[in-house]
Amino acid sequence: MQQALIIALDAANFMLALLLVTLGLAIIFGLMNVINMAHGELFLLGAYIVVAVDRGGGSFWLALLAAPVALAGIGLLMEELVVRHVYHRFIDTILATWGLSIVIKQAVIILFGPTAQQVSNPLPHALSIAGAAYPLYRLFIMAVALLVAGATFLLFYRTNLGLAARAVIANRPMASSLGINTRRMDRFTFAFGAGLAGLAGAVMAPLMSVDPQMGVGFLIPAFLSILVGGSGTLLGALLGTTLIAGASTVVSSIWTQIIAQVVVFSVAIVVIRLFPQGLTGSRR
Amino acid sequence: MSAPRIGVAMTIGVWVVLAAAPAVLNEWRMSQLAQLVSYGIFAMSLSFVWGQTGLLCFGQAIFFGIGAYVMAALTKGMLHGWPSGTGFGLVAAALVPGAVALAAGPLMFRGRGLSGAYFAIVTLAAAVIVERAASHWDWIGGFNGLLDVPPLRIPLGGRPIELLDTVPVYYTLLAAAALVYSVLLWLERSPRGTVLRAIRDNETRTSYFGVDVARYKTFSFAVSGCVAGFSGALFATQFGFVSPALIGVPLSTEVLIWTALGGREVLLAAFLGALLVRSVESALSGALGNYWLLALGALFVLTVVLFPAGLFGRVLALPLPKRMRRG
Amino acid sequence: MARSTSTPKSGRPTSGRRRSERATMLSVIGLVAGYRDGGRVLDGVELRVSDGECVALMGRNGMGKTTLLRAVMGHLRPDAGRIRFAGQDITGRPPYAVSNSGIAYVPQGREIFKDFTVAENLLLGLIGKKARGAVIPGSVFAYFPVLAERRRQMAGTLSGGEQQQLAVARAIVSRPRLLLLDEPAEGIQPSIVQSLGATLRQIAHEEKMSVLLVEQNLELVLAMSARCLFMENGRIVDGTDTAVLRTDAALLDRYLAI
Repeated sequence: MQQALIIALDAANFMLALLLVTLGLAIIFGLMNVINMAHGELFLLGAYIVVAVDRGGGSFWLALLAAPVALAGIGLLMEELVVRHVYHRFIDTILATWGLSIVIKQAVIILFGPTAQQVSNPLPHALSIAGAAYPLYRLFIMAVALLVAGATFLLFYRTNLGLAARAVIANRPMASSLGINTRRMDRFTFAFGAGLAGLAGAVMAPLMSVDPQMGVGFLIPAFLSILVGGSGTLLGALLGTTLIAGASTVVSSIWTQIIAQVVVFSVAIVVIRLFPQGLTGSRR
Repeated sequence: MSAPRIGVAMTIGVWVVLAAAPAVLNEWRMSQLAQLVSYGIFAMSLSFVWGQTGLLCFGQAIFFGIGAYVMAALTKGMLHGWPSGTGFGLVAAALVPGAVALAAGPLMFRGRGLSGAYFAIVTLAAAVIVERAASHWDWIGGFNGLLDVPPLRIPLGGRPIELLDTVPVYYTLLAAAALVYSVLLWLERSPRGTVLRAIRDNETRTSYFGVDVARYKTFSFAVSGCVAGFSGALFATQFGFVSPALIGVPLSTEVLIWTALGGREVLLAAFLGALLVRSVESALSGALGNYWLLALGALFVLTVVLFPAGLFGRVLALPLPKRMRRG
Repeated sequence: MARSTSTPKSGRPTSGRRRSERATMLSVIGLVAGYRDGGRVLDGVELRVSDGECVALMGRNGMGKTTLLRAVMGHLRPDAGRIRFAGQDITGRPPYAVSNSGIAYVPQGREIFKDFTVAENLLLGLIGKKARGAVIPGSVFAYFPVLAERRRQMAGTLSGGEQQQLAVARAIVSRPRLLLLDEPAEGIQPSIVQSLGATLRQIAHEEKMSVLLVEQNLELVLAMSARCLFMENGRIVDGTDTAVLRTDAALLDRYLAI
């Protein structure tokens, strides 16, 4: 029973962290029809900002605040310099963003070296839950992710800005005809998505060994979540993430991580094949 | 000279230069060039499936790697009861990945099918998983791979002779490249090739003409899988060992870069892209290598944004087949 | 990013002016755009809409009428020619900039946001325009009372005629100077077409809007427009006062019959 609780908490942990990454990706894909292959590297940069601040003797909490802001700026730069020139050539956005991911990864390797880095856990205590000791930091991550995801949903479903964004997602040409500045939307979207990824990376840094290859490990599950859940709505991203993260955690606790990857991937492919619009039936 | 004629002249020129290379290059460079030729064939496989059919595959190295591993396993005699000769090895190395592609095709292309972007993601995910799986599969050497892969053995006078000298090896590779080039070019210029390009340009509209799009895509995917596997096998015989590095994301990314930089829609342009990028890479070593990769990534982005036809795409483009020219 | 129109609201001409003195609201000069195998979609279009005028544009399918509206709205870049609106050159501007200069567009098929409520659809007509604030003017509900009733309903649940009303309401909510309508009568019952025509005519008159109406439905054309142009193969080839069309079937035969 205790074991099951731990697994459930771990699953929730992974799911919420992945959700931040997936949300950013889903928003960028939904609104701009851009597959951002560099999204994993944006996550990576968030983690490395924590590393950099840690090396410089700064506080983790400072890094946690700085990361999303810095990443939003980087996202803006990426959009302005590269993405907006290719987004009408759909396949080429994949290539261009993939190229950017290589550039970012190499820059990180040059600056920090290719080996893994560790960041100390800022909350090294454990909380007792139903008799089991669960790391406080993991609970913190879940709280942050819930808060931010919740704020994102509120932004999209309760504000005028969110309404405009959803209109662009639903019908870009018509939204533009109504006077909604799609150019500005694109910039904001990319910056926002990048910020979310950066926050996810920063908050996950103390839990993982931070190395230049960790980006892909979050990019693929995020994409699979979008494909499985349905790329037209944020709820699709939420559903997909829950399923992918949950399945991954459960399977890897029974067998190995590799088997979990293979199983989850195979099942995801089957689901996508059966439900090309995702389980929520909404695809751009 | 008109553009198509330049293309023909340049194409011939490239092959002539390649054939004459042994006259000017030293032994070490020749063996390097021979390896580059394997990579060049690999790039042609991607050019066929991506440049001609529009299928952006992020896992092309899966086929390359399978071919390499199959060649290694067979020629090292690891599969008891199966022939261990070069010829059989090469054929198997081509057919096995092709069969994988053939099997995967209907799963990915039938029904609503996977659109370009989803195909890219799925192949990327597949590459990640296959690489991890290969690293953990002890029978094929796990993370370290398989060593002592025998070189090409040509049956001459009843007994197989190992090709160890650089010049014969090089010419064998070049002949293989020319063979692959001819076959792929012939396919491209055939009516089937026209259909593939139509699918690339406008899939929906092409399907309205009654074309079974999924079948054509699977065909293209399988052909490119065969060629990639073939090139992987050739590479394995020169390199002498195979490892998961040949089957995963990094190599898949590299071949993508070579093909995009060279020119995805023109076979020989992709071939040259591989040769060029790879040779620069091996010239730069160590710490400089990281800066090189950074520059390469930036160059790649620049190419995608500004030169979608690639560096050599325009200059090597061949004229349309006679039956397709107007007037 | 709202663009200030060059003509302030108070500068609208009164209806008492003679037609020849009315300012030109929209002028399209030599517009060339789009390529179809073997020819251009727009092949040198010339037209003018005067301030407060309603001009109808008729022609068979595929003659370029929708493409023309889309070009004016900025959805496609013309290869040659100019588009001038209220004294400004708007050629090549993106749709949101064209919208913010004061042109509203109701496309073929209406394109309302089906998964949003009626109120949200209307609000979206205002969101992009800073100067207007975010309050839906009561006049919109006066013109289309059924929308007031259904304001919290999902737009996708409305009937065809109601969706058309919503599309028009959404377009006029920001008080544009020029309204582009693409086949508003399509798929609507004849009885509703009549009332729609009357409402549109009323709106154009009261809000001092100019209208460019692409339409195949003669009823609506007769009800709304004073002048009618005919389009063939990407050009305006003929024009007449709409009144003539009531009695003379020859023009209609020539340009509309298949």
